[in-house]
This record gives sequence, C-alpha cells and structure tokens, in this order.
Amino acid sequence: MIPRTLWSPGPAEWQDDLSHLPPSEWNYDRAAHLLAHAGFGGRPEEIQKLADAGLDRAVESLVRYERLSNPKMQPFVESGFWDPTIDRFPESRPDATDRAEKDGASMGVDVKPAGNRPMQPVSDRFFYWLRATMLETRRLGYWWANRMLQTTHPVEEKMALLWHGHFATHENKVRDYRKMHQQIELFERYATGNLLDLTIEVARNPAMLYFLDAQYNVKGAPNENFAREVMELFTMGVGNYTENDVRECARAFTGWYFDDLTFKVDPGKHDDGAKKFLGRTGNFDGVEILKIIFEQPVTAEFLAAKIYRFLVRDEISPALRRQLGTVLRDAHYEVKPLLTAIFTSKDFYSAPSYGGHIKGPVEHMVALMKHLDVESMPGVPDFNQSTIALGQHLLNPPSVAGWAGGKAWITPGLLIARGNVARDTLIPDMTGFRDWNFNAGTDNVLGERMRDGYDIGAATAVNDPSKMSEFDRVALERDEKFNTRISGYIGWEQAARKLIPTPRDAARFDLTAMVLTSGAKTTTEAVDYLTWRILRVPLATETRNALVAFLTKELGTESVDRARTYMEDHLRMTVHLLMSTPEYQIV
Amino acid sequence: MTAKNPLTGTNISRRDMLRFGAGGVGLGLFGGIGPVPPVLAQASRSVAANQSGKILVVFEWFGGNDGLNTIVPYGDPLYYKHRPTIGVKEADVLKIDAQFGWYKSMRGMKRLFDEGKVAIVHGVGYDRPSFSHFTSISFWHTAAPNSGNEYGWVGRTAANVDPSGARENMIVNIADSQTLAVKAPKHVPLVFVDPQMFKRGVFAQEKPVLDTLAAADEPVGDAHKYVLEVTKSAAQASEVVRAAWSAYRAKANPDLRLLDLDKVVALIEAGFPTQLYYVPLRGSLFDTHVNQAAPHDRQLQYCSDAIEGFFSEIQRIGRANDVVMYVHSEFGRRVPENTSLGTDHGTAQVNFVIGNAVKGGMYGKAPSLSELVLGDNLQSTTDFRRVYATLINDWLGADATTVLGQPFETLTMFKTQAADRRAKA
Repeated sequence: MIPRTLWSPGPAEWQDDLSHLPPSEWNYDRAAHLLAHAGFGGRPEEIQKLADAGLDRAVESLVRYERLSNPKMQPFVESGFWDPTIDRFPESRPDATDRAEKDGASMGVDVKPAGNRPMQPVSDRFFYWLRATMLETRRLGYWWANRMLQTTHPVEEKMALLWHGHFATHENKVRDYRKMHQQIELFERYATGNLLDLTIEVARNPAMLYFLDAQYNVKGAPNENFAREVMELFTMGVGNYTENDVRECARAFTGWYFDDLTFKVDPGKHDDGAKKFLGRTGNFDGVEILKIIFEQPVTAEFLAAKIYRFLVRDEISPALRRQLGTVLRDAHYEVKPLLTAIFTSKDFYSAPSYGGHIKGPVEHMVALMKHLDVESMPGVPDFNQSTIALGQHLLNPPSVAGWAGGKAWITPGLLIARGNVARDTLIPDMTGFRDWNFNAGTDNVLGERMRDGYDIGAATAVNDPSKMSEFDRVALERDEKFNTRISGYIGWEQAARKLIPTPRDAARFDLTAMVLTSGAKTTTEAVDYLTWRILRVPLATETRNALVAFLTKELGTESVDRARTYMEDHLRMTVHLLMSTPEYQIV
Repeated sequence: MTAKNPLTGTNISRRDMLRFGAGGVGLGLFGGIGPVPPVLAQASRSVAANQSGKILVVFEWFGGNDGLNTIVPYGDPLYYKHRPTIGVKEADVLKIDAQFGWYKSMRGMKRLFDEGKVAIVHGVGYDRPSFSHFTSISFWHTAAPNSGNEYGWVGRTAANVDPSGARENMIVNIADSQTLAVKAPKHVPLVFVDPQMFKRGVFAQEKPVLDTLAAADEPVGDAHKYVLEVTKSAAQASEVVRAAWSAYRAKANPDLRLLDLDKVVALIEAGFPTQLYYVPLRGSLFDTHVNQAAPHDRQLQYCSDAIEGFFSEIQRIGRANDVVMYVHSEFGRRVPENTSLGTDHGTAQVNFVIGNAVKGGMYGKAPSLSELVLGDNLQSTTDFRRVYATLINDWLGADATTVLGQPFETLTMFKTQAADRRAKA
C-alpha cells in the first residue's frame, strides 16, 4: 500500500516566486499536484513513480516526453464519408443548388433530366455531408478524448487541448472533419514546441484559413478577419496595435489559401507592396508579419499568461505575468523551458496554486476516468453529450475566442450537470440509453411518414397527414425543384448508413477491488481512501462524516470485508457523491 | 448549515428554506415565493424593485427571422416582385402606415404597437455579415462582429451594472445550456429551462449526503470559494426556481401561451433580483427555407401572442413600468423567395423593443429593396450595437461604451432616459 502523505500546499509566500523548489520539499502530494495540473491526474502508482523520481526528473519525464513510448495511441479510423466531389463544398444549400442550376450537377451529383424535384439528389447530397461531417466529428472528439486518457504523454494532450481552444475553429463552420483532424495532429505535434512555429503553422492550416475567411482575403480587397484575430486573440491582445496595423497585416496575408488539405499561396492575389506594421516598414508577407509580432514583449507575456492560467490557476499577478513572459522570450518561444520553469517553481506549489484551477469539462471527464482506473472512454454515457452538458463541445468551441474557461466553467446548472454526468458514468443507464448518432430528432417524423406511404408534400406538412382528408393531402404535393426539409432527414439516413458505430459499453472498473487492495478495513477507511485518491482539495468534515454514515448504513456494517460480495454499487454511489462535491471540481 | 438567501440576502438555514420556501407555506421570508399574504408580498416586491431597478428581457428568435414577412413593406411594389408567392397580400397586412404593416398573424404585437409600446427598428445588422447561424449568432452574443470576445454582451453589462459581482441571480438564462450572450466575467448566470429538471439526479439513499455538499471547513482559495458559492446557489436556485414556479398560478391558464416567457414572469413575480433575462427561443423555428408560409405564420403568431401575454402578466403583477423586452434574430432572410416557397439566409433584420417605457414607433431606415447587396440581400442601415447601446445606456443606466468597447450613437426610444430618472431621484 502506498503511504498517504497529507495534503501539503506550500506557504502562500511562495506565490509569484519562480525560484526552484528545494528537493527536500518534494513528496507524493506535490507529485499528485503536478500530475493533476500538467496532465489529467493519475493512479497512485503513477504518482508514486513521479515522487520517487525526484522533482527534476519527474518534470523532465512529463515535459520531455518524446522518448517515452506511447503504445496505445491508435490512428483515427475514418468511416469513409469523404470523396473528392466534396472538395470546395458549397457554403450554403442555396449555393449548392445554384451550382446545380448552372452546371447540371453539384458535389458529384447530377440533376435529373425530368420529373418533379429534379434537384432533390443535389439537395440531399448537401445535407448528407453536413450530417456526415458532424457525426464523424463526434467520433473524432471521442477518439481524441481516448488519446488523452490512454497517452503516456499527458502534457502533450493537455497542451494540444489548450491550443485547440486558443486557435479556435469549429466544425460547424469548417464543415470538414478531416481538417479538424489535421488540426488535432498539428496541436499535438507542436504541443510543447516553438510558439512562433506553431502560429505560422496555424496561419497556414486549412481549417483556420477557411474559418477566418482566407478565401476572401485578396490583393485589392483584403479581409481583416484573420489579421485582427491573430493579434487580438492569438498573440498580443487588444490595445497593442492600431486599426491601421490590422489593415496592413491583412494585406500581408492576401493570397494565402488552401487546396483541400494543403496550404497554398496565390502570387497573383498576394499584395507584395510595402506595409507599415507595428512601426516597421517593408514588403512583409504573413510569416514576416508573425515574426514582427513575436518580437513584441507583450506577445511573450500574453502567451505565457495564457499557458499559466490554463495549467495552474485562473488569476495571475502582473508581476508574474512579466516574469513568465521573460522566461518565454529568453527561450525564444520554446514552450518546454517555460513549462519546466513553471512546474519546478515554488509558485506552482504555493497555497494559491493548490486548488486554484477549475477543471474544464473535457479535462474533467478524462480525469474522472483516470480516477476510476478506467482504461478506455465508455460509450455510455456518450462522451460528447456529457461534455456538451458540461459546457464544452470538443471541436466546436462557441466562437473564435475559444472557451472562456476558469470560473465560466461553473454555473449552478453546470455544477449540477457535473454530478449528473458522474452518476451516469458510475451507474450508467444501460437500458434507457439511446444512441443520438442514429436519431434524427425532430426529422424522425418525416421518415415515419414516408415509410407510411405519404409523398413528400404530405410528409413535410406541418400538421399530421393521417388526420387530413385525402383531398387535403394530395393538395400538399406540389411541383418544386427540391425540398430541403426532406433532405435534412435523408442526409442523416445516408450518413448513418456509413457511420462506424461507437461501441456502447459501460465504463469498466472495479471499486470493490480498488478498496480491498487499499487495505481499508472499515467504511471510514474506505471513504478516506477514495477521497484521498480522487480529490485534490480536502473534503469538508461534515461531508466526510455524512459519507461514512451513508456507506455504513448502505452496507449494513462498518466492515468492508463483511460487505465485499455486495458493496460495488454502494461504493459507486459514494464516489458519485464525492465527484459531486465542490472540491472535486478543482485541482 | 446556514446560507445566504439569494433573494433577500438574509441568512436562513436549509431547514428553514425547506419549511418556508419549497414547502409552499412561505411567510414572505422567501422574497414573496409561495402563497404569501398580499401585504407582505407587496413589501418584498418593492424591496426587490429597489434592489433590482429596471429589467431587460432579451427574447432571441434564433433561426433567422424573415423581417420582410414580419414588418411587411406592402407599399413597395418591389416587395411583391421579390415575393410573388409568399408575399403577404395587402389586404392581409395589419397596417401601420402607407408603407408598412404587421404580418397578418401578429395581432398581439399590433395591439401593443397601437398602445404605443413597441419600437420597431428597421435594417439592423453589421458590416460583412455572416450567413452562418452559429457564426452570426456568436457575433450578436459577443457584440463583436467578425471578431470575438470571451464574454457575452449581457454578461459584460451585468459587470458594468454591478462591478462587484456580488448580486446573486443577476442574470437568468432560460436555455438548455448557457447562451454565450450571458457568459459573464463577474456573475453566475442562472441557467435552466424546466424548473422541474433543474435538479440533481440522485438516488433516494444519497440525499442526506447531498445536503452537506456546500459545507466547507475553510475555503482553500479563490476558486474553491467560488465553486462553494455556486454549490450553495445551485442548491438554493434550484429550490427557489422550483418554488417560484410552483407558486406561479398563470401557468395553468391555457389561454396564456407564453413559450418560455412564463418562467420569466414567475421569477419577476417571486421578487427575484434579476435585472437581465435572456430567453433564446429553442429549435431554430425561424429557419424557414421550405414552404415558409404556414410555419412562419404560426411561429410569428405564437411569439406575438406570447409577448402580448407576457406584458399582460407583467401588468398584472404591477411591474409594467420596470420591464422592457428586446427581440432580435441572428440575421434576416434573402429578399427574393426561393423555389421551395421559402427564403434563405440573409442579412439585415427587424428588431423590436417593447414596454411601457418605450416611445412606440418606427426607428432606423428601412433598407432599399432595389439596391440589394451580397447576392440579393438587404443593406443594413443600423448597427445592432446601436440598439444594444440604447438599452444599456438609456434603459439600464449603465455605460455602453465600456461594455461594447467603443461608443455607439443611441436611438432615442425611451420616454425618459435612465440618466434623467437618476437625476430626478
């Protein structure tokens, strides 16, 4: 059994102190604090290994992870939705059908030569892809969450998650799961690499190019969307540049575009004239502009603070912000030296950093699985539905500004939802579960009506066609080029036929074995063990006592050994309650 | 355990709350929830009114409402040229003047308009409009078109009105998940749809432990303190919301179909200190690409009836001078109808600001139907942030320039400006 070191935050005076934590201050609890912040927490054995390694080697193993093999990482297996006819997918359904009107075909589908609704297949095709990329992106998010859970490089995945929210694009607009996949790979590759290189790669990334309207940014008619965000949200923050800088910056990125998944520059659309940007003048292109941005001290401070707030705690003092900015600048924007400086600092182990971070929903779900010693993400409850309920839809951040994070993760409703998601994981509703990937929602009724023999006019009627006269029903059918309402349904059906189903298994774990192996003899010891294992902040005495009383009452005995044959669900309820505490939401 | 009552700011224990509040035999301790004696209820209401000041209810018509078939420019022959099939016939329009009229099913709104309580704002939009529902609504939510902001405009307004962030339940959001518009730097918006569902999923035997969740020996830091506060307010909010809802009698009236606005009335009646309500209409029902006439007709009627019903309820509870509603969508629709008897995503839209305090009439310049832009679309004539600025400055008495990050000229649509009211007081 692993010795229980008590909760041991350093003194508050350590706050903002970046000097190295003395080796004598290193212990199991500090290792647990490190793994919870740098990654997603872990099993006691993993934490013990870090504790035994000593601070420097522990931090190095986490930050310089490349040498560690990562055997469980599997490539994403596509359902096979995409084909080249989807390339240059129309921006809207009218765009799709206008093309068909003009060319006789759209997205690889021909217009019918005769008959009613000659363009129906084109309209269906448009919705097919909308549904397909939405459903595949759900699989992609689930696959990514599994990587976070199974990786031996937690810092890599944690930082990739940060960059996804920082350089935010969403599938709702990008409408191509392949580009979102490409972006996850980019964020993993540069997770702890060089930030200038990462920003250049992001500026060349097809999902980002599409998301921030690169196709409309051409010589003579610059679109400022990317230019503004790259300074406001990605590097410097508002107030550090002028509107004129935005315009000049946009000119430098003109002609940048993509061909399917490849970055391209169109020299004919690129404005290679002189630009005056942040006090400098030259014939800058996008890369040179980014280099100038990264010469600004404020950029290092902005990015270092973003990393710190994501990993350590929500509040950062101006003094620490400046110090961390200096560390990042001195390291020429390499992230690893900054992370090492943070994780080895007294500040990181100071009292304000202990319990200073509210876990984001995805981080929360991955950590929750780790706490239960679950080896792969369950299918019930659905990962995406759970995290959406908690306020974070992976690969669909709400806007280019990403997720607000910090306190915004917790509202009364979201907090209650955290408890409910914990319950649905611990005691899943296996017989009540319905797979939302195979549920067209309000469009289901259209399928039912068509299968009942109604034509499209009657099937899409507002009122129930079975309650209409034959005359009224027939009157509903009309000549039209296509019917988009029915396409919404047909598109879902067609996508669902190809979709690789997500296995709907419950989380596999064994709390009985976990408690018995811990050596706990009494219900008090069992509650204390589980609390120590999953919480990073001390539980209120009143709650702890209530939990012991609860478990004792439910087991009918104080003896864990006496209850070993039937205690699993009672232990699961105990953990559900622990995971519903305010303390569980923070690390 | 004791906790601060989110309504009255007094300390009451959970047991008291259960006894007086959720039990439905309140004695006014609970901010007027429950069947309380009228005098006490009135007292708690006036206290709440002093605390909360003016109330803004944003009613978001998500999906892209067809403004041209809402305030119909029946006097313009071009309208019928663009809308040969789905155009509303002159005989059906509820006329405002020789040019415009209400869509035929919007009798409720027409009545409010005739009482001088509705400001119609024409041509509301922004430069370089997005045709995506999600992108465009995020611009409206953050008041940052073609840009972004971590927080929503309503959330930032709350921080401007109450910089300490101390007021609980300052923002209420009737939605499945928190609307970006209310994401707030200082406040914890109360987010729910079904008061009955705003509760923990819990097994019977777990309940005694749940009652201890907000207990803490001593918060270890700022984040812990915050989560503890939310835990308390979650337990309380879930109870007070359900108590307010169970006390709200009008929900049983089948003639009052208020959509989700009934929850707003229930909370206002219960004396919630909320100043900002955000109610996004759920289900994209305004996305009328196909066979638009019937669903749009019905949708406008439902919304129009709900708004009229809402204000009759607000009148009944004596708060008619304190409540203003703002209605907007994420965009309007394309001017020419499509071949499916519907309309596609467009640009500028019509907005409404409604209430006793409003100087009824038409504001802004109606976009031309002859000079269409961006592929058969309306050129917007009023930046939506001007409407926001008007509500923030002139109604709520806050500072729109701070909230919106830059100054916007306001529209003079209130009978008295917040600044003048303050000066008088």
